[in-house]
Amino acid sequence: MTLDWSVVWDYRWQFLQGAAMTVTLTVLTMLLAIPGGLLLAFMRMSPYRLISMPATAIVEFFRATPLILQIYWTFYVLPVALDIRMSAFTTALVGLTLNISSFNSETFRAGIQSIRKGQWNAAYALGMTKSQVARKIILPQATMRVLPALASTWVSLFKDTSLVSVIAVADLSYVSLQIRAQTYRILEVLTAMAGLYWLMGYPQAKLVDWIYRRFKVHE
Amino acid sequence: MMDFDISPITNSWQFLARALGVTILLSVSSILLGLVIGLAVGAARTYGGRVVDSALGLYVDSMRAIPVLAVLVWVYFAFPLLIGHSLNALLAGILGLGLHLGAYVSEVIRAGLGSVRPGQMRAALALGMSPWQAIREIILPQAVIRMLPAFGSLFVIAIKDSAIASVIAVPELLRQSQIVAGQTFRPIEIYTAAMLVYFLLCYPVARGVDAIYRRLAPLGAS
Repeated sequence: MTLDWSVVWDYRWQFLQGAAMTVTLTVLTMLLAIPGGLLLAFMRMSPYRLISMPATAIVEFFRATPLILQIYWTFYVLPVALDIRMSAFTTALVGLTLNISSFNSETFRAGIQSIRKGQWNAAYALGMTKSQVARKIILPQATMRVLPALASTWVSLFKDTSLVSVIAVADLSYVSLQIRAQTYRILEVLTAMAGLYWLMGYPQAKLVDWIYRRFKVHE
Repeated sequence: MMDFDISPITNSWQFLARALGVTILLSVSSILLGLVIGLAVGAARTYGGRVVDSALGLYVDSMRAIPVLAVLVWVYFAFPLLIGHSLNALLAGILGLGLHLGAYVSEVIRAGLGSVRPGQMRAALALGMSPWQAIREIILPQAVIRMLPAFGSLFVIAIKDSAIASVIAVPELLRQSQIVAGQTFRPIEIYTAAMLVYFLLCYPVARGVDAIYRRLAPLGAS
């Protein structure tokens, strides 16, 4: 078998554009899924069942079904159900955001509930209002505790953006599979694709380990 | 708005039921392969010394960095060119998913083994047990219970990730749903039904492992 690695260099701009799309999707999704997750978490912790039930249903459903199917579903069902037209990119962003918001909401809920009840009571005793306690006492501490879990979710999200290739969003995996089809240099192109993901993902995985060590909770 | 027509599903239910069987087969096989790889790698990293630890650490961190999709297409399309022998899609799916899952399993095993205090190992050795005996009879039984919740989420992830094997045309539930959706022009009904089936598959696994853990948790305390 003869290998011809020049194909990777020849298509370097396409590869880089794909990688840029992967990074863009990761960043945008996380930016949307942090408020989304907070909203779902607060809804789920609401004492009113009318508010908490739908949030619980959304979170449990999106966590227990495959993301790749959620992307297909967003692609085929959402435009018809809501009677709107969306580009493939928007569809991908909506699908990823719904999924990651659900995972984030559980992270936030665990983080908020990990702050001892006594802290709420103490803050109330000092005459703070409920939103003041949440904003000034609970959230700052909870933020430190959720950081490691958020970082893990970030890396999973970075990897999972590859699934948007199934609806033809030009991310790194879609671009690579296209180049493979055009050039037939299957081994070289697919190895380059895995290598590029590795180059981007490996430092992130290491960073997550560091964040875990740095922000470990000592009670 | 929508009119919901479930006849495409009822008409091809046997086709889809077989696909569900493949999904279950694929999930269970990749979990088993992942457990074997994870146990070997996790134990080797914990007890095997520094060189073994960093070599296997490279495998684990690489799998944490590369998407399942990339692993699957590489194993199915590129790997056969290296070995000069074509690979059955189902086998490639099991290999790719198991290889990816194994890295995550090994981290759970490593954390579980590490959570058992070193004094217990020393005590077992002092009683004249061999290191392997001590691991098998003292360390693992406690560690396994502590690992249960993490395994629960990994099993759910394995079932969900099996759907990605549709990309390499393994005839599992998502792939066959695509075929039915394409033939009947009824993607809404088909994908919604598939979504429900996956939910019914994953949710009980997650809840079941939680329930088992709650009953066994006291046994893992030390």
